[in-house]
Amino acid sequence: MDYKNTLTTCTYCGCGCNFFLESLDGRLTGTIPCKTGPVNEGKLCIKGWNAHEFVQSDERLKKPLLRKDGELVEVSWDEALDFTATRLKEIQKTNGPDAIGFCASAKVTNEENYIMQKFARAGVGTNSVDHCARL
Amino acid sequence: MTILSQMLDFCGIERQRLRTRWVSSAEAPEFIDEINDFIGVLKKLGPSPLKNEQAKMLA
Amino acid sequence: MIDQVKQKINELLSQGSVKGVVALAYAHGHAGPCLFQKGDDLDALCLGDEKKAGDVRYPLNKVLITLARQYPDDVFGVLVRGCDERGLYGLYRLKQLEPDKVVPIGISCPRDLALACECKKPWPDDMTAGEAPNEKESGGTEQKGVQDVEGKEQPERFDFWKDQFLKCVKCYGCRDICPMCFCYDCSLECEDLVSKGDLPVDIPTFHLVRAMHMADRCIDCGLCDEACPVDIPLRLLYKKTAEVMNHEFGFTSGINKNEISPLSLMGPMPEK
Repeated sequence: MDYKNTLTTCTYCGCGCNFFLESLDGRLTGTIPCKTGPVNEGKLCIKGWNAHEFVQSDERLKKPLLRKDGELVEVSWDEALDFTATRLKEIQKTNGPDAIGFCASAKVTNEENYIMQKFARAGVGTNSVDHCARL
Repeated sequence: MTILSQMLDFCGIERQRLRTRWVSSAEAPEFIDEINDFIGVLKKLGPSPLKNEQAKMLA
Repeated sequence: MIDQVKQKINELLSQGSVKGVVALAYAHGHAGPCLFQKGDDLDALCLGDEKKAGDVRYPLNKVLITLARQYPDDVFGVLVRGCDERGLYGLYRLKQLEPDKVVPIGISCPRDLALACECKKPWPDDMTAGEAPNEKESGGTEQKGVQDVEGKEQPERFDFWKDQFLKCVKCYGCRDICPMCFCYDCSLECEDLVSKGDLPVDIPTFHLVRAMHMADRCIDCGLCDEACPVDIPLRLLYKKTAEVMNHEFGFTSGINKNEISPLSLMGPMPEK
């Protein structure tokens, strides 16, 4: 029997609340906020309280999906990335860089958001960059 | 109901706004009397404190 | 006190009388719930008091329920304070735990915490460490918080609660952390009773629904108050329901091991 409480940081937003992810025999069973965590002091928002549910959810994607003939099919990462790069380049050429908008996320690190905006501004040439927290 | 009426009082909502009475479907006159009596009590109490709140929230 | 607890845990584990002991332990600088299965990692044991009395208490009964659901035939030890033991008695009554599958390791609460909680019984019946205070020392168990609210007249009372309830963000933290909440289908998620997802909450329905459900269950541990991110004085509501239960029915949740809740009966209490 393997029961553990793993101290971790919430991935949902930039606050960084600490909680314990409770797991029993490899399956996540619950979330308990860390009372001594400096950010949250034992409190969580509804997303944090349910953080244990999405991690091992069956609905999570395991492979990229690409729409072919109106149906979403699983493809390899190479195919997905090639398709994305080709189409973005086409749109940039045909409709101009401002036809592409970029939406950053609070769930990723500052560094990843930095790359996103750099790609948008220097790579594609648009300043249409926004963030989910503004919505 | 014992608990709920006291809890409503505790939260600032008059307990007379809650009424329980068992009425059979064959007792129509008793039902009418009960409701009329209840309306009388409620009119005396005036608008519920919740009503103002709802109005403020919808405004 | 901690040494006595360590000794008891060691005894239970080495004799094989329990599969594990649910208590608190330090890891990465923070105390959290932990299952001790070997006696050699007891240096990390924590009793729940770090900088202030009771500041790192966690709902250990909830952990016990999670384990018991998966391992119903195994016996587990659990660290309990006065309130946790009341919780255990309540959970036995509600058939969530079996008394012969639980070995409580009782500790009494520090005086500061007992006074802050206005706790009626800050020590468990089954005590491994600590002492039950004598009559003189136990101080007042006057529920000053509740009395303060009752000292307010309408409409101030309503305004007070309205302002508190408007703060609610429906995080469900009070329900998720409560050691006595275990229902698979919670009334607070039943759309016929409360609106789901919208803010502000239905006043006073949302909080009163919870208070009504806690009427014969709440053990007054105070974890709900501590988990509320907007500091709503939830404990006052549940203390008030407990007071009503006491006055009207002579019932206090978890005080007696083999009690029956009056809310589960239609008609008079059965003869004992």
